[in-house]
Amino acid sequence: MTQADTTGADTTGADTSGADTSGAEAPDPDAAQAAIEYCYDRDWSDGLPLVPASQPLVDRFLATTTRAPDEVIGELEQVGRNCTVYLAAVNAAMAGCRPEYFPVVLAAFEALMRERAARGGGWQSTSGPAPMIVVNGPIRHELGFNTTGGAFGPGFRPNATVARAIGLIVRNAFGIRPHVLEQATQGLPGRWSICLAENEEESPWPPFAADGGQPAGASAVSATLLRTCEFVDNRHTPDPEQVLWDIADTISRTGSLIFKETSAGVVLCPEHAQMLAGAGLEKKAVQEWLIEHCGRTGADLRHAGKNGLRGIARFADPDTSADEEFSRILPSPRHVPIVVAGARNAAISMVVRIFGEWSGTAIPVAPLAAAPPPPTAPAEVTS
Amino acid sequence: MPNPILDPTGTAATAATTAAPRAPRRANLAGATVGLLVNTKQNAAPFLDEVGRLLAQRYGATVTMSRTKVNFAAPAPEDLVKEMTTNCDVIITGIGDCGSCSASAVADGIAFEAAGLPAAAICSDAFRVTADAMADLQGAPGYRYATTPHPVAVLTPDQVRARAAQVLDDVVALLTESAA
Repeated sequence: MTQADTTGADTTGADTSGADTSGAEAPDPDAAQAAIEYCYDRDWSDGLPLVPASQPLVDRFLATTTRAPDEVIGELEQVGRNCTVYLAAVNAAMAGCRPEYFPVVLAAFEALMRERAARGGGWQSTSGPAPMIVVNGPIRHELGFNTTGGAFGPGFRPNATVARAIGLIVRNAFGIRPHVLEQATQGLPGRWSICLAENEEESPWPPFAADGGQPAGASAVSATLLRTCEFVDNRHTPDPEQVLWDIADTISRTGSLIFKETSAGVVLCPEHAQMLAGAGLEKKAVQEWLIEHCGRTGADLRHAGKNGLRGIARFADPDTSADEEFSRILPSPRHVPIVVAGARNAAISMVVRIFGEWSGTAIPVAPLAAAPPPPTAPAEVTS
Repeated sequence: MPNPILDPTGTAATAATTAAPRAPRRANLAGATVGLLVNTKQNAAPFLDEVGRLLAQRYGATVTMSRTKVNFAAPAPEDLVKEMTTNCDVIITGIGDCGSCSASAVADGIAFEAAGLPAAAICSDAFRVTADAMADLQGAPGYRYATTPHPVAVLTPDQVRARAAQVLDDVVALLTESAA
């Protein structure tokens, strides 16, 4: 950390004047704490401190978009609630976003609302699903998203706060709070914190947003809901097919199967992606390999009580006649989306277990309507 | 003056809901036509079928209609509520056995009451809080529904029948007692 980075935070402990080296008045920590507690008292928080949102701050968010503050951008019919551009801005501000992140939040929310589960009962579900947001294009670097190591976080403000903004919108605008309308049995690690910026620079393939219908080079956001993430650590084989077998085994575990078919994405590390591409496999070929090889025998499914099918739902059927049959579980490439993320330092990839199915669409990030106005000086606000 | 801290919920602007109407009760179920609204959860159909059978056998009611919700997470569509209201005297709905479907089973019960039909929603007892929260949202705080012990999905056919018999008195009380 350079000296300049410590502006506003006196590391020597010698200066107690409340002024930093530029002479500006340091913020009042007691007022800040009181404002944070005010937000906790109103049950707005996801458990961590919120940035208390003022009208001048929210105005800076609203200035980044041409959309009207009262435009409804999401509805949850069963609870009679909706989210407007204004409410999204308040929650994004509270999540700790900078105003210029707001177009990404809007695109992420729109992408999520394309998911049938997110429009239905997903937020209330016992499975407690987590949004997975994927950002593509130049906006990643313009806003300082982490595009390399530690892709699933934490540590980077844009990634962390865009994901958190979605969680606060669900909690506050939709009114889905834990133990009340939200009934997650265990939830999952990383809920409201998964926002990947694809490592396009080290991916051998077109960006994920292209799979969602956006042109190459577009800044765009894709999103779906996850039930969990599971690592595949395979760094000692030079054989790409062995890596695929390893991924297929994780995708095929019975614990995640509740219906006839399932959906599981793969977030490949650059090393695995480059190995597969080096063997001549396009992304589509990887998806087709997994569609062909992911599944279980009837006996495996019967041992887990999931061999019978009533409609599309699995149940325990004592019938052993299908023990030898191999049941494939991924119906189409859209059910096994592939993203490239993380550092080029180890061959560790992630299977992401999708709740329902991905809509298959990416949402373009609207250009900033105007540069966000500068923050109002605290002295003017309080005088 | 400092700036006010903004409310992220948007609920201050929401108009207050009026108290939810409650349908007039029958003195008993003799001759009543019963509609079953099944929400597709595991064991919901045999559970409600058995409740219907017992209402016919012990109370002289007749099950005249059984419908299945397409989307268990959402309240029943208006045309379905209308169809069942036209053809039935009382409604049984359930089984609320998940986060969204317990809430929506209660919302359906409240919708049928508003349409003039006594309704009994049945939920697993693990989902009381979310069912009550939905009643509050629908402007019907304290809305009464029947519960059966969790879990329901793993019950055998015999156990389902036993559960239906256990909850029967509560269902009858919900449909016939005029005092909330």
